[in-house]
Amino acid sequence: MAHIMLKKLKVPANSGSLEEARSRTFEFFRMCCRSIPHIMEIYNLYDVVTPSQLRSAAAAEVRKNSNVTNPKVIDMLLFKGTEELMNIVNQSKQRHHIVGQYVVGNQGLVQDLAAKDQDTSNFLKNFYGSNYS
Amino acid sequence: MASALRSAILRHIRVPATQVVSANGSRLTAVRLMSSHDDHITKDEVINRVLDVVKCFPKVDPSKVTPEVHFEKDLGLDSLDTVEIVMALEEEFKLEIPDKEAVRIESCEQAIEYVYNHPMSS
Repeated sequence: MAHIMLKKLKVPANSGSLEEARSRTFEFFRMCCRSIPHIMEIYNLYDVVTPSQLRSAAAAEVRKNSNVTNPKVIDMLLFKGTEELMNIVNQSKQRHHIVGQYVVGNQGLVQDLAAKDQDTSNFLKNFYGSNYS
Repeated sequence: MASALRSAILRHIRVPATQVVSANGSRLTAVRLMSSHDDHITKDEVINRVLDVVKCFPKVDPSKVTPEVHFEKDLGLDSLDTVEIVMALEEEFKLEIPDKEAVRIESCEQAIEYVYNHPMSS
């Protein structure tokens, strides 16, 4: 249902107060959460991630900007967030975008899993860690 | 004309009310076939499933979770975490909680109460 709602979405008027921007942020986050089942379906993500992990990833994206207190900036961030969500829901992205950004992106693209990875230099590890955001 | 005839007929027709008795003699009163909402979940089941959802939340210490626990005061979560838990509950019980009611769910107790009283929860 959420993804049908998303197609009719328009740019709202500016938030008058921080409180309004705050409630809009929660509204946006709820919309993200409600499109997760659809996203799981269209990108076939069942074997790599669970809906609750995706929900946490979305919450982490919102939390990245938790220090912002200017309602205008929050409005702009919400606009960008909605744009991103629309791109995902309309399948303007491909599976690896989603997997890279929201599934493995949180832990870093390159992970030390095998025994030989332990010998990699710290310089390379930092490089891999910083090169994807 | 047609409506007058219809009301005149409806006033006179009486359908005899008979009790349907099944083979083993029990009365079949509240059986709605093809309906998935008759077997409403019990309070215990609601409590267990709500607590499971809250315990599975990564930031929550599962040992602290009780049916009376408050998300922000007792579990140290913030408002975004609370929204996340409410969305997880929506998914678990296949509900869609309107925003105005979702902001009022701030503790396990309120969540259990809301889900239990919701006719569509399953």
